[in-house]
Order: sequence, then C-alpha cells, then structure tokens
Amino acid sequence: MTEATSAHVPSPHNLAGLPSPRRGEGQGEGSKEYPWRMPAAWWTRNRHYFFYVVREFTAVPLALWLLWLLVEIKRGGDGPGRYAPHQSTAFVLFSFIVLLFALYHSYTFLSLTGVIIRLKAFDRPVPPRLITLAMFGLWAGASVVVGFVLIWFAR
Amino acid sequence: MSAEVQHRPAYTHLIFWFLFSQGGVIAALLIPVHVLIQGILGPLTVVPVVDRHYDTWVQVLGNPLVKLYLLVLIAVPFFHFAHRIRYLLVDFGVHAAKGTPAQVVFYGGAVAVTLVTIWVLLTTVPIRLG
Repeated sequence: MTEATSAHVPSPHNLAGLPSPRRGEGQGEGSKEYPWRMPAAWWTRNRHYFFYVVREFTAVPLALWLLWLLVEIKRGGDGPGRYAPHQSTAFVLFSFIVLLFALYHSYTFLSLTGVIIRLKAFDRPVPPRLITLAMFGLWAGASVVVGFVLIWFAR
Repeated sequence: MSAEVQHRPAYTHLIFWFLFSQGGVIAALLIPVHVLIQGILGPLTVVPVVDRHYDTWVQVLGNPLVKLYLLVLIAVPFFHFAHRIRYLLVDFGVHAAKGTPAQVVFYGGAVAVTLVTIWVLLTTVPIRLG
C-alpha cells in the first residue's frame, strides 16, 4: 500500500479529523437526551407479562402469611389462658387468597426445575421432564407428611 | 495492549443466589400445605390441627426438630421473596432497587426476619428433649 492511499484509511491512530459517531448532523455538544422508558402499564399489555408479574408478586402474600405463622408461634408463649388461635372469616379468606398464590408459585417454580437442574445417571442426562415430575412428586410427598404431622399431633 | 481481565469469584452473589433458589424450593414444597391446613381447614374445624389448642401447640413447639424445621420454613423463603420483590420493583421502573442501599434493605430485611425467627423460637417455648 502506498503512502498516498493509506492516508484515506481510518485507523485508531488517525481518527482526529473524523466526525464523532455519536454526533450527527445538527447535534451539538448540548444535545438533549431522550432515554427510553418502559410504559407504566407494560405488564397489562400481554398475557405472559401479566402472569410473570403475578408470579413475582406471589412473594408478598406468602411473606405475609409466614409472618402470621411467626406471630402464631410467638402467641404460644402467652400461656393457656390467653392463647386463642385465629379463626375469623377474614383470616380464612386471607388464607384462601394466599393459598391460590402459593399454588401458583409452586406450579411455576417446580415446572422450571427441569430447565434449571441438570443431572446425569449412568453417564446419560436425566430427561428434564423426569426431573420436573420428580419435583412434583416430592411436593406431593412433603404435603402428605407435613399434613399428617399437623393433624396427627393435634390428637 | 493486553486486555487482561481479573475474574474474582462473586461469593456474595453465589450465597444470595443459593438462598434465593432454596427459598423458592422450600416455599413451593411446604407453604401450600401449611396454608391449607393451618389457615383454612383448621379454623373451619374440618380437621383437628396442632395449633388449634394451646397444649398440643406448645408440646410441638418444644421439639428441637420442629424448631429447626420452622426456622427453615419461615426464614429461608424470605431471601427468595427479597430477591423477587426487588427485581419486580426494577421491572416497574424503580431503578433505585438495583442499587446497594436497596440490596441492604431487602436482603438485610431477610436477615432481620431470620434473627427474629431464631429469637422467637428460642424464647417462646423451652426446648424439650424426649
């Protein structure tokens, strides 16, 4: 390459005379920026977005119910005369709503396990569907055991 | 010019990601049955439940294995909840939720719930062996 032609080829050492790629025609140093912002109601525009938000929101009712359980444990120290478990209609309704969110969390979270968990058995990958089924089986088993303990020791 | 990038293991990220995933699993496996039995069937007197009577509730709460179980059941999911709510706020345009102060508030909140749970479990009913 001759010296005359190489003068027209931009190189990292020869960029002083070139216009900045960030500055187009008519844009000066004081140009105003218009950053893109997500529309406030983005999650209502698509069914998948809506259920994504519902899935993330399940954390709130579940947290509230666990805090109630903590209060119930604390009230166990109040003594036999003052201890009275919650049984109002409002509490049952609250628990029913929490149960719907809890089931949705369980379904969505355990459904993902086949994608997240990678296992090998006898040098062959375990099919994701089998892992998901095993997690749902574990959920059923754990529910039976915990339910049995909660009811059996009430006798 | 050499482009050397020093990779350091992100231990903090590793710990909170582990707690997030384990909290999600524990919440998925255990919370529905507690809500169904202790929150609905028990109060409606469909089935007898251990927390409906003082004697049975206190007897169960004195068991160290039950205390350990309740600690895991209550505390670990809060690390999952903290992560989810923080990122939900980010999705709703609250960019401050990405910052370090927000992380301190959310994960610090989960640590606070853990400490309060330990305190409640250790002070409410004395541990009984056997």
